Parts: sequence; structure tokens; C-alpha cells
Amino acid sequence: MSQPVLQVKDLKTQFFTDDGVVQAVDGVSFDLNPGETLGIVGESGCGKSVTALSILRLVQEPGRIVNGQILFKGDDIVTMSDEEVREIRGKDIAMIFQDPLSSLNPVLTVGFQIEEAIEAHGKVPGKTALSRTVALLKQVRIPAAESRVHDYPHQFSGGMRQRAMIAMGLANSPSILIADEPTTALDVTVQAQILELLRDLNRDLKTAIILITHNMGVVASLCTRVLVMYAGRVVEQGPVEQIFKDPQHPYTWSLLQSIPRLDSDRHDRLLSIEGFPPDLIRPPRGCRFHPRCQFKIDRCLHDDPPLLNVGPDQDAACWVTMRRALASNGERRG
Amino acid sequence: MADRTPLLRAENVVKHFPAGLGASVKAVENVSLEIYPGETVGLVGESGCGKSTLGRLITQLLPVTSGNIFFDGVDLTKLRGEKLRQYRRQLQMIFQDPYSSLDPRMTVGDIIAEPLENFGLLRGRAKDQRVQELLKIVGLNPYFNNRYPHEFSGGQRQRIGIARALALRPKLIVADEPISALDVSIQAQIINLMEDLQKEFQLTYLFIAHDLSVVRHISDRVMVMYLGKIVEVADSVEIYRNPRHPYTKALLSAIPIPDPEVQSKRRIVALAGEIPSPVNPPSGCRFHTRCPIAQLPTPCADQEPPLEEKARYHRAACFFSEKVPVAV
Ligand SMILES: Nc1ncnc2c1ncn2[C@@H]1O[C@H](COP(=O)(O)OP(=O)(O)OP(=O)(O)O)[C@@H](O)[C@H]1O
Ligand SMILES: Nc1ncnc2c1ncn2[C@@H]1O[C@H](COP(=O)(O)OP(=O)(O)O)[C@@H](O)[C@H]1O
Ligand code: SF4
Ligand code: SF4
Ligand SMILES: [Mg+2]
Ligand SMILES: [Mg+2]
Repeated sequence: MSQPVLQVKDLKTQFFTDDGVVQAVDGVSFDLNPGETLGIVGESGCGKSVTALSILRLVQEPGRIVNGQILFKGDDIVTMSDEEVREIRGKDIAMIFQDPLSSLNPVLTVGFQIEEAIEAHGKVPGKTALSRTVALLKQVRIPAAESRVHDYPHQFSGGMRQRAMIAMGLANSPSILIADEPTTALDVTVQAQILELLRDLNRDLKTAIILITHNMGVVASLCTRVLVMYAGRVVEQGPVEQIFKDPQHPYTWSLLQSIPRLDSDRHDRLLSIEGFPPDLIRPPRGCRFHPRCQFKIDRCLHDDPPLLNVGPDQDAACWVTMRRALASNGERRG
Repeated sequence: MADRTPLLRAENVVKHFPAGLGASVKAVENVSLEIYPGETVGLVGESGCGKSTLGRLITQLLPVTSGNIFFDGVDLTKLRGEKLRQYRRQLQMIFQDPYSSLDPRMTVGDIIAEPLENFGLLRGRAKDQRVQELLKIVGLNPYFNNRYPHEFSGGQRQRIGIARALALRPKLIVADEPISALDVSIQAQIINLMEDLQKEFQLTYLFIAHDLSVVRHISDRVMVMYLGKIVEVADSVEIYRNPRHPYTKALLSAIPIPDPEVQSKRRIVALAGEIPSPVNPPSGCRFHTRCPIAQLPTPCADQEPPLEEKARYHRAACFFSEKVPVAV
């Protein structure tokens, strides 16, 4: 296998607030291979966006990366000069957000903003920039791109704005595209179009994609590998087929059990995860999931489980793991 | 089901909002429906298709432009003042956003008691007892009544909203995307709670959502809306197994199933573009601009397909419903 394009090692990002230190990202590590589609899932506040912002060094005050390395093709983004990071942003690593309206400038045309993105990394003659912009809009399947290039953001629908953002992200053929909840604000029909677009771009341009979402279905339809985050930590990671078929962490398992599926028999009651996500200023001791875990053992209350190998290329941070939890349940039932 | 008397019946309900320069937003256009006692009806459709407006018309939070809404046989659109108020008690709404729908300056106890006070129902200790009872019913600590909404998580706030809706012992609850703003791990808690309450208090639900997997789980029947119109109504098992409108089919196929093996084998019916503007809806069948099986211009662009029975208890508004492919 080739070298990873991105290696995140023991990343810790914290916010120094008046109430205390928010341990938003607490020791996250993962590799991203060239052309891979990696999903990061977890509920709101678990540190997905802060992980993404850290990669581009976009974390705002009072936040700071306090530990770890982020190696892009071997160079550490954490210790680079501001100028070096600016060069990487948008050129090698591009990012798109949940709400495309707030990331587009309302008083400039969509085309102008894409041209700006192209020109940010090297002067291009005006005509070339325009034709490249039209080509990009066509690539993201904006109908009548030649005329729509002169539209303002408010003249675009939600789905078209997200396409325009993707076009802007692709302007300099980045090797990594980070998409933070790109379809969360969209209708399912438009979500399906955007996911198909991302899938095609990944296949044709070999752009590696980090897709951040809370929707397991979205991961299943786009990604080849998935990281499951809980309370600032990666609690499980592995190939999607493996994680969905044989999750080993109780949080992953419960999440998958708690969502109704279109293709399953209607069952009477959903499994629900009791309690709610913890406060990251004072996270629970031991395993952070223990107050909500139905499989916990004494050890979980004070010992923090490390991420350990539990299957082919699958890691989970759990003292029990589902294999054992379900086996002992079976025993008890007889 | 069809032999029983509906709890609520809407007849040719229309709602237009002024949109300036003499134009109007046709938010709800000639909708007729029935909701039977004790059932859960799911209402789905893309953003802006009129789901919330229809919900607010039914609960009398908005006046109709035209049409009639019968509740227990009484036409609510003809009632005014005190008479209407007495009926309104029985129709409550739960909203999507538990953050903005609760007044931050009121204690939880006052929020839940407010409807009781508005109707002058209970006072003093009896009122406090009822509030504590309601908190217990929705799974919250009864001694939380002196706290403020910001001290609670999203899921807990949604429970508070539900307690408030239950205060007046309503018969029909319109839940407008009650779980969309909640964390995935909390959604199942609220769905289970709503199902338990329905059994305990014989509630009837109109459950509005854009997540069809959730709707399928909770509903007995499902109605699909497109640009202000109901385009399909059927039993929730039937509508998923055998959709008779191409829009329903497309919506179903667009829902990603959380299983990579299943998902990779599915065929998505891609819908071109997005929902057109309700100010100037397309002629004929409103779906013709995006419909993969439309026959243009005749009949789809120049005639409007009626919502008619295609099978027992299964209605759809499409000239070519037999051509809609089956299965998810
Ligand atoms: N007070 C109002 N004035 C003008 N137009 C309105 C008003 N309320 C709703 N509309 C319009 O009516 C149409 C239907 O809106 P509605 O809120 O019912 O949609 P919805 O199906 O609930 O959408 P969503 O899924 O986004 O909640 C939309 O075009 C909307 O912009
Ligand atoms: N600017 C900020 N100040 C203080 N805390 C923050 C800030 N931004 C994020 N956080 C906290 O960091 C944690 C992770 O947030 P985030 O990465 O945005 O979560 P998500 O997984 O939903 O994307 C949360 O506890 C959040 O409250
Ligand atoms: S370590 Fe213990 S508490 Fe944590 S997930 Fe595993 S079993 Fe549950
Ligand atoms: S009536 Fe015509 S346009 Fe409308 S849904 Fe049926 S086939 Fe499509
Ligand atoms: Mg986020
Ligand atoms: Mg709505």
C-alpha cells in the first residue's frame, strides 16, 4: 500500500473557556490513504468539526492544538509557518461546510468567488480563470453553467450552493477534500445527488475525501473506512463493511441498533441509548462511555480503554467488546 | 379503519400566503384528508412542500384561506372566540426545535403550567401536582420544575415540550419534526416515549418528518406531500413495499440505508433538480418537471391527476401509477 497522504497522530485540541478547559479532541489518530473515502461519525459535540478544523489549522481562539502531529505528505502542519499552511489550504486540502450560504459572500457572484479560489494559488489569465470556473461548475453538474456563473449566491438553491462550494473546493485539484456535514441541511433527494457527485469525483479525480456526518446511512453510501468518535475520542475504526456488520464497541453497536431502517421489519421498540453525551470540560473517568453503557464492568469506571486491534484492520477502545458482551449475554440467557 | 368515523377531516383546505406584487405562495392547495382516532399518520415531503403549514392549519394556529376542517364532526373553520378555544385544547403541537420553542425566562414548571392557567383549569397545589405528574410521565425528575430550559439537554427539552403539549389532555398531537434537531442517540428515546404515551393516553398523532425511515417506524399510515398537494396516501407497510407515485418512489430510493452491502446494490431514482417555487407551481401535474416517467405535454403538463384509489386504502395522484417500479 502507498504512503498515507495524511497522518494524524495523538491530536489534542482544547478550548480554554471561562468555565474550564474543553477537551474537544483528545488523542485522535488516523491515517488517510490517497484516494480513500473516510467517514467520521458521531453525535454533535463529539469533536468531528474541531478535528477537521485542526487539520487546516483553522481552530479559533480560545481553541488551541495542544498536542500531536498532522503530517501532510510527511510535513507537520502543526508546526508549519502560517504561510506554509496557507499554501496547503485550498490547494492541497480543501474544506466544505454544512451551511454553504454562510461560507459564500452574498455580494459577489458565484463565478467570481471560484475564480478567486483559483487565483489564490498562482496568477492565471482572466479568460482562463473564467473558462476553468465554467468547467468546474459543469463538473459539479450545475445546469446552464455558462450563464449561472454570473449569478449571486441567493439566486442558487441550497443544493446548487453546495455544488458551488464543492466546485470551489476542487478549483486547485486538491489531494484531500474535507466535507463537514455537506448534506445535513439538504433534502434527501438533493443529498442523494450530492453524494453521487462526491462518489464520481472521488473515482474520476482520485481525490481523497474525509466525510464528516452524524448519519450512518450517508457513511454507508459513500465511505470505504469509518472512524466512530465519542466525547473527543476515536472509539472504533475500520472498513465500513466490517464496522456495520460486526461493530465491536458498544457505542457503535447501540447507534446502529437505535436507528430505524427502511429495509428492516418494523419492530415494536427501538433500542435507545439512555442518558446523554458528556460534558467535555469534566468528562467521565475511565471509559467516557461508561455512564451510558449497558455492558460495563467494574474496570470501566476507572480504567480508560486504549484503541486495540479487534479484527482485520478494525480497532475498538473497549475492555469488553461486543463479541464478549453478546456471548456472555447468550450464556446468561442459557 | 375506513369504517370508523375520523377524528379529524380536512376538506379542500387551501392556504395562500401573500408574496408581494399580487403574487402568492401556494403553500397548501386543496388538501383533503382524514385522521382516525388512535392512529399515527406520517406526513413526509421535501422542504417547503407545506407540511408545517398543513400542521398549523389543523391545530388552528393558522386560519385557512378556504376549505373546512372538521374535528369530532364540528367545522372548526366556522368557530370563533371561546368556542374555538375550547376545541383548540384538544389539538396540540410539538415543535422541531426544543431550543427556541421554550421561553428561556420561564421555569420548566411555569412552561408546563401555562396552558393550564390559560384555560383557568387548575390552581395552587393541584396545579403543582399536575406539573410534577407531567414531568414524571415524560421521564423527567418531578423536582426539576424550578429549573430553567437552558439547564437541560436537547432531548430533555423536547420532553418538556411534550409535557406541555400533554397538559390539557389533548386528543390529537401534531408533532412537527420532533426529533430532527436531536442527536442520533437521543432520537430513539423520544420515539419510544411518544409511542408509550400514545398507548397510555389513547393519543392520535400527525407525525411530520423528512426522515422516511423514522416515519415508517412510527406511522400506521403515510401521506406524501409535493408542492402543497398530497400525492399519495397508504398504509405504511404498503407504501414502502408498493409505492404508486413516482415521487414517493424517488424519495424512498434516496434514503441511504445504514448498511454498505445493501446500499451498494440499490438503484437510486435520481430526481432532476429541486422542488419548484410554490409561487408559480408547474401546470398539470406539479411533479411533471422532475418526473422520470412523465408523458409530455399530454397528459402530464396539461391535466391534473386526481388523488384516487389505486388499491384498497391506497390513493395516489398519477396518471401512470402502474408504471412505478416496485420495491425499495
Ligand atoms: N408566513 C408565511 N408567509 C409566506 N410564506 C410562507 C409562510 N409560511 C410558510 N410559507 C411558505 O409556504 C411554503 C410551505 O412552507 P412550510 O413551512 O409549510 O413547508 P414544510 O414542508 O414544513 O418545509 P420544511 O421541511 O422546510 O419544514 C414554503 O414555500 C414557505 O416558504
Ligand atoms: N469556539 C469554541 N469554544 C468553546 N468550545 C468549543 C468551541 N468550538 C467547539 N467547542 C467544543 O468542542 C467540542 C467539539 O465540538 P465540534 O468538533 O464542533 O463537534 P461536532 O462533532 O459536532 O462537529 C464540543 O464540546 C464543543 O462545545
Ligand atoms: S470499556 Fe466498558 S464502559 Fe466502555 S464501552 Fe467498553 S464495556 Fe462499555
Ligand atoms: S401524472 Fe405524469 S408527471 Fe405526474 S407523477 Fe404521474 S407520470 Fe409523473
Ligand atoms: Mg460539527
Ligand atoms: Mg416545516
